[in-house]
Amino acid sequence: MAETVDVAVVGGGAAGLAAAISAKEVGANRVVLLDRNSELGGILPQCIHTGFGVHYFGENLTGPEYISRFISKAEELGIEFKLDTMVLRINSGRRLLASSSLEGLFELDARAVVLAMGCRERTRGAVEIPGTRPAGIFTAGTAQRLMDIEGYMPGRKVVVLGSGDVGLIMARRLSMEGADVVAVVEVMPHPGGLPRNVVQCLEDFGIPLLLRHAVTAIHGQERVSGVTVAEVGDGGIPVTGSEREVLCDTLVLSVGLIPENELSEGAGVALDPATGGPLVDERMHTSVEGVFACGNVVHVHDLVDHVTETGARAGQGATLFALNELPPPKRRIAVVPGSGIRYVVPQVISGDGPVTLFLRVKSPVRNANLTFGDFAVPLRVARPAEIVAVKLNEEKVETLAHRREIPVCLEASS
Amino acid sequence: MLKRKITCIICPMGCEATVVVDGGKVIGAEGLECQRGEEYVAKEIEAPMRDFFTVVKVQGARVAVCPVRSTKPIPKDRLMDCSRELADTIIEAPVKAGDVIMGDILGLGADIVATISLERNSQEVGNWR
Repeated sequence: MAETVDVAVVGGGAAGLAAAISAKEVGANRVVLLDRNSELGGILPQCIHTGFGVHYFGENLTGPEYISRFISKAEELGIEFKLDTMVLRINSGRRLLASSSLEGLFELDARAVVLAMGCRERTRGAVEIPGTRPAGIFTAGTAQRLMDIEGYMPGRKVVVLGSGDVGLIMARRLSMEGADVVAVVEVMPHPGGLPRNVVQCLEDFGIPLLLRHAVTAIHGQERVSGVTVAEVGDGGIPVTGSEREVLCDTLVLSVGLIPENELSEGAGVALDPATGGPLVDERMHTSVEGVFACGNVVHVHDLVDHVTETGARAGQGATLFALNELPPPKRRIAVVPGSGIRYVVPQVISGDGPVTLFLRVKSPVRNANLTFGDFAVPLRVARPAEIVAVKLNEEKVETLAHRREIPVCLEASS
Repeated sequence: MLKRKITCIICPMGCEATVVVDGGKVIGAEGLECQRGEEYVAKEIEAPMRDFFTVVKVQGARVAVCPVRSTKPIPKDRLMDCSRELADTIIEAPVKAGDVIMGDILGLGADIVATISLERNSQEVGNWR
């Protein structure tokens, strides 16, 4: 017989910890958190740089400092942790099948489930770089784990492909530990990461940022000996004749993050192709009754502070559902990305309370308007690297209540 | 007197400013939209400061290295000096978050403290021995 718990949280990173804590705080009796790692905290323990918690705590913390506050809180509240535990399947009836060396294969019935599996890095295979297969090719997260948990130096002469925040932060980390970071190569015409990171991770260390460039080949037998870098023209096609060899012993890949949703799909949760994560309403409720989702499994966030906030909301919703206290949806309005918008989360508004919409623009804009069907809000500046948060108060939600669909569009302001 | 371009990082606007610098002091700036930006640019040109963080080797813990940070920002041009100063430091577990690993590093007025607690673990790990 499977045990029954109020709330089962899958994933013990920032999102899952916040969800488990809020579940306990709003009255769930048994809360179980499962994680395949042997430590809690997800990716935060290896993010040794500062910049975490500025919004949530009003303090500038490192990753380990930020997450340890939540780990201590979760321990105090009596949340049950099942670590070294792989959740293999979740069915639509919220029965989990999991396995660990301690308990073997076991089942767990949950009155509500919170999905908090986070995201995974895209790899060399995902971006299809031709060439040999030598040692010395790492995703940024792997390089970070090697340096900041395991104490290994990944290489001495490094090219970083991709200018997302993780890539920029690793360019700085490698430089600080004495590596020569030859260049950061970015296929887009604008940097993928925040301006702060471009300044403090690249300019501070004199690292060139090659925009509209790509790595088109990897060289080396036992170890990477160099890469071919080329300019790219329109449509992302390398410009013939622009190729040049760059000597290096290491290639660090920071080429995007993908929400990890195999378990969600197995449970029948509908995904949004734009985010790669579950479709959720403002309570983080997915398309499957009693299954909630939060953090980077929903969409890839810029700031852990926001991840924590979605976790708290999912934990609260899950607990109310488990206790049969979740008010039924009042309406179902689809929030749909229109021109200039890559995605909007939540994708559904189901209640009448205030809602904060998180959206990402497709390309950098200045002095534009964001339109929501019946009204517009001015947007002075937005970049694809930075999520835009728009709070709709009860009054605004009420004016939209007659709609089945809200198109969110970016328009030049007149 | 020279002109320099600088991106303000105080808010998402990311103003691109052109500043006029004379004798290491900012004497004029164009392209900034607020007071906070002007303060940032002046500080960034005259005395730029940065958070400092790295790892130090740790013995007797379940991991090979312990993350550390400075208790306050240090001058930007001393980041690498601090990194070198800590390169040969080896500490012993147990460690508590906030433990001072090196007081007043290089006389800069900032302490280097651990950012994680590590229990004593008899199983040896690490590649640096």
